[in-house]
Amino acid sequence: MIKVYSITQCPWCDKAKKYLTSKGVEFEVRNIEENEDYAKECAQISGDTMVPVITEDGKNFVLGFDKAKIDALIGGN
Amino acid sequence: MGVYDFTVKTNRGVEKSLADYRGKVLLIVNTASKCGFTPQFEGLQKLYTEYKDKGLEILGFPCNQFAGQEPGTNEEVQTFCKLNYGVTFQIFEKGDVRGENAQPLFKYLVAQKKFAGFDESSPMTPILMDALQKNFPEYLEVDDIKWNFTKFLIDKNGEVIARFEPMITPESIAKDIEALL
Repeated sequence: MIKVYSITQCPWCDKAKKYLTSKGVEFEVRNIEENEDYAKECAQISGDTMVPVITEDGKNFVLGFDKAKIDALIGGN
Repeated sequence: MGVYDFTVKTNRGVEKSLADYRGKVLLIVNTASKCGFTPQFEGLQKLYTEYKDKGLEILGFPCNQFAGQEPGTNEEVQTFCKLNYGVTFQIFEKGDVRGENAQPLFKYLVAQKKFAGFDESSPMTPILMDALQKNFPEYLEVDDIKWNFTKFLIDKNGEVIARFEPMITPESIAKDIEALL
């Protein structure tokens, strides 16, 4: 399952989620503002607290709303 | 009525009396939304790192009244947002800083230090003026806060010493802070 690390009031997070939905990709939203465990996970994956971070395996990830990179990430699905 | 009479809420919802900051030099700043080009956070963080042990506290108040209208961002391709902007100084709850619903603290601050014009020598001034005239012409008419990163410097006794408009960078006010520490 794809995970989208995000915060509230984040237009880029919203765009990423909408894009995934438009591609028919199921994903789980992990709000790092509301959940400290998610915040730690996100920081471990990307080394920062920037969002959105999109990942499936917690290793390969896409930072920000980058369609080409998102396509590459979800390509195998 | 003074700065220490106000109570505000942190971004985690904890009530904080500004009287807790008595004896500190304070820099109160209305900060930008979580996204967009906000280089002043970095400058503010540098000030904080350099002077916090000498008695400086920076208080950031996020406000989205200027959201989506940030000037000078066109060339910046940034498609992410950042939790708390990566700063370690205290960030407070989001709220209005201008207009009828402005937080009482900001109504007080602008009454103490009225708008005295922009720095005409700054390259940001014409860009900001253009953005204001196009989007919020009424903002130019009153003493209220004009844009993100308006800074109020308060001395150890709670007196509002200076107001710096958005184009005045954090780096350039280091000497003003030092003079009060």
